[in-house]
Amino acid sequence: MSLREAQDGWLAAHSEELSRTWKESFRTSSGIEVEPLYTPADLEDRGWRYEDNLGFPGQAPYTRGLGAGGYRKELWHLEMYAGFGSAADANQRFRYLIEQGSTGGVSIALDLPTQLGLDSDDPLASEEVGQMGVALSSLADVEALFDGIPLDRAGHVFTTANCIAPIAAAWFIVLAEKQGVDKSSFRVQIQNDPIKEYIARGTQFLPIDASVRLACDTVRHVVSEAPGWFPISVSGSHMKQAGASCLQEAAFTIANAIAYTERCIEDGLSIERFGPALELHFCTEMDFFEEIAKYRAVRTVWTRLVRERFGAQTAEAQHFRLHAATSGRPLTAQQPLNNISRITMQVLAQVLGGCEQTRTASFDEALAIPTENAARTSIRINQIIAHETGVPFTVDPLGGSYFLESLTDDFVKGIDRELERIEEMGGSLEATKAGYFQSEIAERAYREQVAVDSGEQVIVGVNRFRVDDDPELPTFELDQGAVDRQLAGLARLRESRDEREATRRLVELENVCRSDDNVMPAVINCVRAYVTTGEIASVWKKVFGEYKPEAVRF
Amino acid sequence: MRRSEAGRPDSSSLGPPSVPTRVVVSKVGLDGHDRGVKVIAHGLRDAGLEVIYAGLRRTPQELASIVTQEDASVLGLSILSGAVVPLTRRVVDEFREQDLEDVILVVGGIVSPADEEELLAMGVDGVFGPGASMSEVVGLITNQLEVRVPKPLTNNEEEGGHRG
Repeated sequence: MSLREAQDGWLAAHSEELSRTWKESFRTSSGIEVEPLYTPADLEDRGWRYEDNLGFPGQAPYTRGLGAGGYRKELWHLEMYAGFGSAADANQRFRYLIEQGSTGGVSIALDLPTQLGLDSDDPLASEEVGQMGVALSSLADVEALFDGIPLDRAGHVFTTANCIAPIAAAWFIVLAEKQGVDKSSFRVQIQNDPIKEYIARGTQFLPIDASVRLACDTVRHVVSEAPGWFPISVSGSHMKQAGASCLQEAAFTIANAIAYTERCIEDGLSIERFGPALELHFCTEMDFFEEIAKYRAVRTVWTRLVRERFGAQTAEAQHFRLHAATSGRPLTAQQPLNNISRITMQVLAQVLGGCEQTRTASFDEALAIPTENAARTSIRINQIIAHETGVPFTVDPLGGSYFLESLTDDFVKGIDRELERIEEMGGSLEATKAGYFQSEIAERAYREQVAVDSGEQVIVGVNRFRVDDDPELPTFELDQGAVDRQLAGLARLRESRDEREATRRLVELENVCRSDDNVMPAVINCVRAYVTTGEIASVWKKVFGEYKPEAVRF
Repeated sequence: MRRSEAGRPDSSSLGPPSVPTRVVVSKVGLDGHDRGVKVIAHGLRDAGLEVIYAGLRRTPQELASIVTQEDASVLGLSILSGAVVPLTRRVVDEFREQDLEDVILVVGGIVSPADEEELLAMGVDGVFGPGASMSEVVGLITNQLEVRVPKPLTNNEEEGGHRG
């Protein structure tokens, strides 16, 4: 009797017991039906072969990991995203995080005005300066942010720049000069993915084609001036948090990565140089096995695209960075200590999925910017998994699980199908312009809310297991003096800088923007002359036009 | 919005009952998180209303003009940036100035209990923070619409609306 026959026999013999379930159906968050039991027969049925589907870590198809050594060689980088108030305020928090054992360097949350290319003294920025991140209106603020933190000691610098990516890249190129630090002694990682801003995150302020040009100019310049940096982190996180399923998150992100890769190659960059400069960034929510499957499948699909579609000849070209953040969305304002368990499960899924870098949210993040206590607890979650559980002792410890391998295979096939659909629409840029991603994401967010409202989808502490006397948690409060400090600093800068030099650099930038040349050298010159974020963005708006929201009828 | 001075609500913008009621929902301020506002838009549509999502970063002036053009009875604002009170106040002021006080104003987002109190005091008709269900939001709007349909004035309708 074959194993398949034996398994079918077992299912038949226990059909009555197997049909008595506490839930009507068992599906992953992306809607994949989960069987009661998985065996090698399930893998055999799908034509799964160890050599083809898994192989060895550090070798194609890279399902088991990008490097041979896994976490035995090096633990994941533990990154804590932070930022609020003025640069001086955020500087204190980064010093604290580094002291507490954060190994992911300095990961900078920018405030909304900065991300939108507005200076702190812009009337549109009022009330939002320093609220959701740190305000960086010029190089002077960046210098203050890194006061006492030399870039080589930070080791790694990340920021969510997106539509202001050229400015962010310029900050760190110029800061390295000023600090006298070799650019190869630290790595800069820039979330430089404007397409998904138009889809889900919402900090776009230029027409999409202009934003893509600026993104790709940044990549091409950084790849030659600072090889080893990651000038393009493409992110699915926000699409997922806006409503995309885990599978859509993976597929949409890869589709966007294809768009940037094609554009950079068109502009003359080789895949051998582009490949290692790329980071793919995702977020981890609560469907534990699906998340692990996603990270494994993404490695398989992306490295195959790099080889087959973009014709890479070297292993290095396939070595993108796999970066995962825990998601803020499943964190609840109700019974916030429950979030510690949620975050723990998410970090564990990332580690079992073989991510090289984790960014961990804090348990009070549904309420406010994290307190030091909550941020430290998140560092400890990573350290407990790293040092107490034994999880990092072997590479890809869940490899070979019948269930996980089935799910990983479903993900690889599902991503391929979705990529094909997007390809038929003319690629991700066209699909974004047509509103495809946006409507898919909104539709799914709505279905999920209906499921939560009906109780079909359980959120502990929100629609079940509620308490009436949820004790209030002490939350972080921004020192309102921070905004005044920021505004005073900017006013001083406007008075003290060499105005003629600033104007000259802005004119130079405008001319370059009107040509086909790479904007980066001109942006670097502006930053060096203490031209502000808002002044640079204003030139872009003047040359390229502005993003205008469109009303949508439901 | 509830009126700052007691007075009979003028519900002429509602039009005859056969005209579908229009709701404008929008983001104001700089935050671009619009999952919530789109979910609410879907929910209101399924409740039989005509919904226009105005998009990101709309100014109070733009909202006043969209609401007027669309002849909308309800405006829903979604604000997740923490600046919910000042941003809403600007919209309330603009709508008062434009004589759009009869538009039902609902605000959702990151709202602390203190923020909620301030918003209600400035005349906002409904405030929803994290954890609010879609049916609560839709329920409030449909109830408010019923209350605002022209009918003889009773004393009850004059309550609230005082300036905080």
